[in-house]
Amino acid sequence: MNLPHIHLLLNHWPIIGAFVGLLLFLVAFFANSDDLKQASLAFFTLIALLAIPTYTSGDVANEVLKTSTALPKELINTHQGAALLSLIFIEITGAVALIGLWQFSRMSRPAPGPVARWNFALVLLLSIVTAGLMTVTGNTGGAIRHPEILSGHDAASTVGAIGSKIVPLTAYFVTEFSRWIWPALETLHFLGLILIVAAIGGLNLRLLGFVKDLPVAPLHRLLPWGIAGFVINIITGILFFIGMPFFYAWNPLFHLKMATVVVAGATLVSFNCSSAFRSLAKLGPGEDPPATAKVIAASSLFLWLVIIVLGRYLPLTQESLK
Amino acid sequence: MFLSIFKAIEETGLSIWIRESTSVFSFWFILSVHAIGMGLLVGASVLIGLRILGFAPDMPIAPLKRFYRFIWVGFWIQVASGILLLIAYPTKSLTNPVFYVKLTLIGFAIASMQMLRNRVFADTSLSEATMMAKGRLFAICSLIFWVGAVTAGRLLAYTYTVLTA
Repeated sequence: MNLPHIHLLLNHWPIIGAFVGLLLFLVAFFANSDDLKQASLAFFTLIALLAIPTYTSGDVANEVLKTSTALPKELINTHQGAALLSLIFIEITGAVALIGLWQFSRMSRPAPGPVARWNFALVLLLSIVTAGLMTVTGNTGGAIRHPEILSGHDAASTVGAIGSKIVPLTAYFVTEFSRWIWPALETLHFLGLILIVAAIGGLNLRLLGFVKDLPVAPLHRLLPWGIAGFVINIITGILFFIGMPFFYAWNPLFHLKMATVVVAGATLVSFNCSSAFRSLAKLGPGEDPPATAKVIAASSLFLWLVIIVLGRYLPLTQESLK
Repeated sequence: MFLSIFKAIEETGLSIWIRESTSVFSFWFILSVHAIGMGLLVGASVLIGLRILGFAPDMPIAPLKRFYRFIWVGFWIQVASGILLLIAYPTKSLTNPVFYVKLTLIGFAIASMQMLRNRVFADTSLSEATMMAKGRLFAICSLIFWVGAVTAGRLLAYTYTVLTA
């Protein structure tokens, strides 16, 4: 197995996931089942997390293919463009779904008010757009290596063409437009880290028994600040990658970091942001959660620390790779 | 004169080890510790600040005093790791005005957090409304100073003019 293999391993999930998520979401709505609604929202968030390594493994696949066979370059650009647009929309869908999911994990959940309805409509709209974009991404990606699909060249659609202009434009903006854009994005990435440590780290530290005289529910109410930090870091992280893809694409520590981000994100989704958390949100001052909750809280803290450390070590391996 | 002192520091074994050692515990490790310390120090300040500014209103304010422990643990981690980084690159940092801006902003931020502590957490008889009113200005100031300090810290890598090591 090599790095391009990872792209193949991952790339069907976001495409199929976007459709399965949409279907699950619609079924949950018509069945009016809170459990199904949560499942579909969690599903969207997990797909959004998986889409990140799917996108970042694409550049490597392209590099390896380029050396071995003559490939339709235009088709690859179109595929990458459509992939970027899909990535942008699945990330937005995931973020909005996560906020919707967080509502379910609150102890005293308010009756479905304007926020819940607004969240529902937004997730529905975004996921429909995402599914459409994923179709184009899948089509153009398939056409690269499957000439037997006769519609292949039509798949180089206008959507992909627009996207393929966005990739170099974004790279230009991030790296060449001004020498201050990169440091500004790095600063935002650090501020996002602080929000994650404050809100997600703070909540998990409380579960472990630090600052025990605080009740859990109000700390849990601050969780959207941590989600905001996570979103900021995903956006700035994607911009870094588009700006200098080959600073990251071959770096094993980068792949380890992305894998850890997916796992830490999945822990946030399934533990801190689902109705599984409701019983923990009832804990008052001085009360301890069950041991399993402590283990998960400790794992979450550990994963975020690993992400910080791996991020700081990225340039080191870059030097040793040269 | 200062430059020759900086140069002498750069020639010490510790300075060279931090910069050039291939051990995983040298430069990048210290940088990682510095990032984690930042998360603790600023993260704990942010939690206190957000509550004082009225977010999560059902959170009791008094127990937040405990987060000052995280602030101080984070602070000393930053002092220790910061000094090691400074030993590695004294000329690069100390000839850069941004470095002094960063230290000043950290000083202001810590001072704001201490004043907030004295006004809000020292007197346990205060009502929560009074606590919020008394702490508001300092919470806002500390958040602004922290954002400034983090920004200045990040800019250090892009604004240095003299690099001798």
